[in-house]
Amino acid sequence: MPASNTLSAASATGSIQPKTGTRKPATRRQKRDWMFAAGFLAPFMILLLVFQYLPLLVMARNSVYDYSLLNPAAAKFVGLRNFTDMIEYEDAAISFGVTFLFALGVVLLVIPVAFALALFLNSKLPARGLVRTVIMLPVVTSSVVVAIMWSFLLDPSNGLINGVLNIAGIGNQPFLTSTDQALPALVAMTLWQQVGFGAILFLAGLQGLPVELTEAARIDGATRRQVLWNVTIPLLSRTTLFVVVIMTVFSLQAFAPAFLMTQGGPQESTNLIVYHIYNSAFIMQQAGYASALSVVLLLVVLAISMAQMALLRSRWNY
Amino acid sequence: MNARNLFLAGLLSATALGGTGAYAQDAAAACAGEEVTLRILRTPGNYPYPAPMEAWQKENPCVNFEINEIPFAQLADTISVQAASSNPPDILVYDGPNTRSYAAAGILLPITKYLPEGWDEDILPATKAEHSYEGEVYSPGIEQTTVAMYYNKMLVEAAGIKPPQTLDEAWTWPQALEAFKACQQGPAGAPTVWGLGPTRFGNGQPGLVYQDLIYQRSAGDPKADPDSSAYKTFWALSPDGNSVEGYLNTPEAIEALTFYQSLFNAEGVAPKVGIPNAFFDGKACFYIDTPAAGSALLKDPKIEWGITPIPYFKTPVVHTGSTTIGATARSKHPEIAAKFVVDMSWGEYAYMNVSQRGNLPTLKSLFPRFEVYGNYPMKVFIDQLQEWGQPRPPGPKFAQYDKLVTDALRAVAFGGDPAELMADAEKKVQRVLDR
Repeated sequence: MPASNTLSAASATGSIQPKTGTRKPATRRQKRDWMFAAGFLAPFMILLLVFQYLPLLVMARNSVYDYSLLNPAAAKFVGLRNFTDMIEYEDAAISFGVTFLFALGVVLLVIPVAFALALFLNSKLPARGLVRTVIMLPVVTSSVVVAIMWSFLLDPSNGLINGVLNIAGIGNQPFLTSTDQALPALVAMTLWQQVGFGAILFLAGLQGLPVELTEAARIDGATRRQVLWNVTIPLLSRTTLFVVVIMTVFSLQAFAPAFLMTQGGPQESTNLIVYHIYNSAFIMQQAGYASALSVVLLLVVLAISMAQMALLRSRWNY
Repeated sequence: MNARNLFLAGLLSATALGGTGAYAQDAAAACAGEEVTLRILRTPGNYPYPAPMEAWQKENPCVNFEINEIPFAQLADTISVQAASSNPPDILVYDGPNTRSYAAAGILLPITKYLPEGWDEDILPATKAEHSYEGEVYSPGIEQTTVAMYYNKMLVEAAGIKPPQTLDEAWTWPQALEAFKACQQGPAGAPTVWGLGPTRFGNGQPGLVYQDLIYQRSAGDPKADPDSSAYKTFWALSPDGNSVEGYLNTPEAIEALTFYQSLFNAEGVAPKVGIPNAFFDGKACFYIDTPAAGSALLKDPKIEWGITPIPYFKTPVVHTGSTTIGATARSKHPEIAAKFVVDMSWGEYAYMNVSQRGNLPTLKSLFPRFEVYGNYPMKVFIDQLQEWGQPRPPGPKFAQYDKLVTDALRAVAFGGDPAELMADAEKKVQRVLDR
């Protein structure tokens, strides 16, 4: 048995030996296992370093320069000016604000809807297979296709959604052309697209719950609602944390809706931060400023994820 | 796959490869000197076209081509990445108003010394102005476009409207609005046939500088005092390209934009989002487009159509410009690249390139060879180009200007406050210009 498996098995049975002061010299077999492990890990680690961490370092360096992609050789060192510009001008604050609202809307809507769908999928009700397919279809559909389809649906003059609203006696809504409705429309589209993924994660969590706990609660006289509220939801806290973090990160990284449907408008009401970064680098030709925005976004995402992990830390285990 | 099929497939592949080699050998045989490959970055379906390239290759047998095609929407992004790379393309086909940006960034090679004798007299002034920077010409231009207003004859005549056919009879915008309202079928804001159809450019939404900045520019006056708001409204950017304050947010511009906004809102004669092929499918009475639409309709007349000059408020104006061609400054073969670029835009090669798509030539000497532009309806384009044509506000930061002003115009069309939006656009553009 390889060393790692031995360790896992020992951990699982709680039979790990206490650490002693001196470490035994590695055997030939252990050394060979380490070399194999390093060999298997090396390709991925090299790719990770070259395509993830190295660009991050380059991005951090670029954030203190002012340059255009058209002529990077003429880059000027500007110190922290790109960062002070974020405070001096409104664009960064507006874009981060819009992105946080978008993320908040997506997370607040996806979590309950995905959980409700997962409960349905976990039950023995009819048509579960069909519902699974239906809710997973948007997840596996290209974002470009989804964005174009929703652009047609949300057409302010002759869109399908306005057609339905007209039947209900409600007049045409401007949707993506309105500063008030554009962001909620993008949240609705993202909910539709991502809820299937959230539901599958919750379903996996539900199917991993020990049945004896819910059965014991039922024998003790708890109603279904009480079981759900006092047993199932607390025990799913790890899954919930995972879905919250994943959905938050997805939302903070959203690009396609702003790029394909609204170009950040009207009046920057959908100017999501990743689109703003793209726009700053490639259209406005302020690559240094775009790098500075990216550095701030990276720190913000890290901070939010850490805060979520701290706040939603699991208090129950099974 | 059995062994026999595998053998046959291998034989076929070997034959195909052998054929390719033979072709390369023939080309090499005609070349006495060193072979050169020019790498071209262009949009699909754009010039230089195969026929003039093949003809040019017969005269320059040592030159081969490697073509990389990028959709127009991604062209500027691709150029900004590839042009700064260690191995940039030799030839760029790019959006003409970006000439000064690319020249200022050192991407384009000045080609003034390669231009043939008589070029200065033959080229359209608007083309030369757009493609020059600090006294040097960076692109010779091949074709030129501008926009005019197409109309569906059946729908317009049914509404009892007779659109003008010459520049001196051109409508003002309020007159055009009356025509849109009279022709439109169905309720304002959600008709079955729109008075003014959506653009085919971009995603079909209003606001593009090329098409919609002319509303406010036409409310200005280029002959007024240079310090006056009327003068600044017409130019929409200071002559040196360094200032925009007081050029977009003027009383004349705001009045024009209030009218522009009403088309999409209060009057409800134009849609806020794109409707693919609306005009060609009979879903719009009027429609603004380049000569390419007329050329397509001449080849395949789906509807009966006519052209009327672009309406105006005070000063008629249309934007010029098209994609254009240039050699890169860091090309490994700058002399050959410059020769190819200049040759493709001059004489017979220019005619071959322009006639392929049906836009207007940039050389006055070629106009008589395009008979279709000698008579109505396509003559309207030539007349507009010569009488009313102006490049979009040129400057080394055009791409940024274009994006910011387009966003502001689009927000106006969607119902935002014109004065507030233009003031904001001025502030944002000035930040870019000052940087």
